Amino acid sequence: MSKLTVENVSFIYSAGTPFEVKALDGVSVNIEANRITGIIGHTGSGKSTLVQMFNGLIRPTEGRILLDGEDIWADAKKISAVRYRVGLVMQYPEYQLFEETVEADIAYGPKNMGLDEAEITQRVIESAKFVGLEEQDLKKSPFDLSGGQKRRAAIAGIMAMRPEVLVLDEPSAGLDPAGKKSIFEGIRKYAEATGAAVIIVSHSMDDMAKYCEDIIVMSHSRVAMTGKRNEIFSRGDELEAIGLGVPQMTYLMRLLAQRGINLPQDIFTVDDAEAAIIELFGGAK
Amino acid sequence: MKSIAFGQYYPSNSIMHRLDPRMKIIMGILYIVTCFLCKNVITFGILALSALLLIIISKIPIKIVLRSIKAIIFIMIFTAILNIFWTKGEDYELLLSWRFINIYSSGLYNAAFIVIRIVSMIIGTGIFLTYTTTPIQLTDGLEQLLSPLKVLKVPVHEFAMMMTIALRFIPTIIEETEKIMAAQKARGADFSNGSLVKRAKALIPVLIPLFISSFRRAGELATAMTCRCYRGGKGRTRLNVLRFSFKDFVALFLVIAFGTGIVLLNIYAPGYTM
Repeated sequence: MSKLTVENVSFIYSAGTPFEVKALDGVSVNIEANRITGIIGHTGSGKSTLVQMFNGLIRPTEGRILLDGEDIWADAKKISAVRYRVGLVMQYPEYQLFEETVEADIAYGPKNMGLDEAEITQRVIESAKFVGLEEQDLKKSPFDLSGGQKRRAAIAGIMAMRPEVLVLDEPSAGLDPAGKKSIFEGIRKYAEATGAAVIIVSHSMDDMAKYCEDIIVMSHSRVAMTGKRNEIFSRGDELEAIGLGVPQMTYLMRLLAQRGINLPQDIFTVDDAEAAIIELFGGAK
Repeated sequence: MKSIAFGQYYPSNSIMHRLDPRMKIIMGILYIVTCFLCKNVITFGILALSALLLIIISKIPIKIVLRSIKAIIFIMIFTAILNIFWTKGEDYELLLSWRFINIYSSGLYNAAFIVIRIVSMIIGTGIFLTYTTTPIQLTDGLEQLLSPLKVLKVPVHEFAMMMTIALRFIPTIIEETEKIMAAQKARGADFSNGSLVKRAKALIPVLIPLFISSFRRAGELATAMTCRCYRGGKGRTRLNVLRFSFKDFVALFLVIAFGTGIVLLNIYAPGYTM
């Protein structure tokens, strides 16, 4: 059984008015535990709406969301319990920081859960470690941190609730390469340590290729493709038809192939490409 | 959140929409003054009709106007009840007397008058100003109307610019509030349950980020304006220069005539006087 199942979900904004917009149209996906799933799609394809359904911020107009096989909207009063189990990191989460210290801000979620003091402290330290925040940073005001650190503190705030499903909407938007890397490493560490199902929404095919195992492609409020990373990125022409692309290294391999250089086409990351090229020249790394 | 009635501008091409915003501000003020000049049954009746006429002229759907009246219905009922019970008019007919409650006919008249006055004022300001004039036109008009005050060193342009910016950012801030609320809800914030104190406290995690982002936005906007050589009102020309036309003066004349008519009818018309 899948960890999280989206069953034929539709959503209409401003239903019943002239401004009606169908943001999701009969979407069905399965999210597995112990895996990192990527959701890609161009702007306005319904990604963010879908993501906000996972933890019940938006209620589907039609269809069901199942967490461990149970409808999360079966009892609307218990929706906040679902929000602890499905942690959502929204876009630019650093704008939600509000406490006096980073420590207190990370503790906000666990405190709302009603955990005891010792458990909260332990979780704060643990999640700070996941995202690579130093012990001395915890005592600082969140507003004295750098952009990348703020982002990591905000993500740690969700991780501290120790959700079984961790959803991140564009976690690396607007960060420099180093900041990006540390965020994704943190997410990966969390996934490995907890066995949670992790869902990442991103525009960057390269990040997706590097960190995600499964990919869901959204287009025009519908699911266009789902599958393993390799399957999806080998369908480059279809992705381009939707207005998306493939990772840069996959492009490179395709261009080289057109010029008659025989390289494998299932290459998605820089490391894979490096290995393949070295092999082509008959060398060993 | 989206239900907050703001920026109520309703696009249409009625004559009211095409009037000069400066003139509309003047007419709006004159109309409100007229609302307070009404004193008796006939003048209040005419006032109510004039409000209806304004809605028809400006082609604003009655439903939209009613919505803005609904917002103050509580205040209206409250003042009406106060007037019914607390008007003492020994010269007038006692309609009902029970223990300490005495209701006179004058109380009923006063209550009706107050309601007509409030509703007309709301409709008047709405039709002359908010429904038919975009916020930008409104501040432009205000700036030019108040520009003589520049002689007294009143920073008229700066105030108008502040108002324009404030209006521009209201939808942005509403959107931002929704986003932050959703984010804190994802961390288990509960804005709808618990005692009043608890709910007020739950808003702290929303308000602090909101303030911070507003300051950030203000700083960014100031930089962007400086980059485009903004340096206050001195020597600034405008894209759309406001010019009075014949219809503006006709409209002003009609409003003044209406006010004068009300004053005269107050003197000559018979019946209960407030």
